[in-house]
Amino acid sequence: MSLHDVFQAMYDSRLGTALAESLYVYPMVEGVHLLSLAFSFGLIVLVDLRLLGIALPSIPVGIILRQLRPWMIGGFAATFATGILLMFALGPKLLATFIFPLKLFVILIAALNAIWFEWKFGRDQDYLIGAKGPALQARIAGAISLTSWSFVVVLGRLIPYFDGSF
Amino acid sequence: MTSLELFRAVQGSDIAVAFGNAPLFFGIAAQLFHISGIILILTPTLLVAMRIAGTGLVDYSPAQLERKSRIYVATGLFFVVFSGIFMLIPSATLYQPNPAFQLKFLLLPVALGIHYGFLAKIAKAEYADKWLAKLIALFMVLLWFAVGMAGRAIGFLAA
Repeated sequence: MSLHDVFQAMYDSRLGTALAESLYVYPMVEGVHLLSLAFSFGLIVLVDLRLLGIALPSIPVGIILRQLRPWMIGGFAATFATGILLMFALGPKLLATFIFPLKLFVILIAALNAIWFEWKFGRDQDYLIGAKGPALQARIAGAISLTSWSFVVVLGRLIPYFDGSF
Repeated sequence: MTSLELFRAVQGSDIAVAFGNAPLFFGIAAQLFHISGIILILTPTLLVAMRIAGTGLVDYSPAQLERKSRIYVATGLFFVVFSGIFMLIPSATLYQPNPAFQLKFLLLPVALGIHYGFLAKIAKAEYADKWLAKLIALFMVLLWFAVGMAGRAIGFLAA
């Protein structure tokens, strides 16, 4: 089964049909997908800027992460859930150009970077409470995260421009 | 002069025609600046509202966070206004009758008024009524999200 077949099956499902034909639900899902970026993307940018030493320098990274993590996870949950609903509604049209597959690839890079960061620094209490200085590896992870999530947002906005069927 | 005549005049202006004839790249850039502006307004406002509600970045006081948020919100407004003008004026007469556009421009001054009229006051430690502060903060966040949702609805209602 190819990726195109999976997207076609999603589009042909009752959920996909209902979403694609809905006058109100589809725009609301798209609106929530966009505005939930304030929680997901906005807060991750803040953490990334802290890792790079630009924002909120007086608070250790671990404390910022502990205080914002539930909100970030909630934001990402809303962004991903609405993103999957949009995939149901739009189906294989999303695969018509390289933009959406590239977006998925960059999300994968961002997610792997986040997993690596958690694995490397998630239990390093000295680092998290600020007893150790900012590690170069953590700053690199912040830069990768900032770049990749920004790229994801840009690619998301480009999707309708590169496929005239929207 | 009716609002439709005003929008028609704006759309017919040299600058609107020039914006309308600009390459697609500029339209995409304007949309990206608009989205960046929305995030620059919403995320710091959320952080201040969350702090007023007693959660989020509790190592800062609400007043400290509110002060730190100002530059981001102001930058976001700058992005939103200028990218919005770029998108609006070449098709002003299409926007004018759109109910979502009208709703957005009803909600926007209210959100701005509450943001700049109340946020700094309710973020102060000496603000006595904590529950009223939390309610105003929640209302302000909901208003900003409503502005965003109305803005997103413009494209759907115009289609």
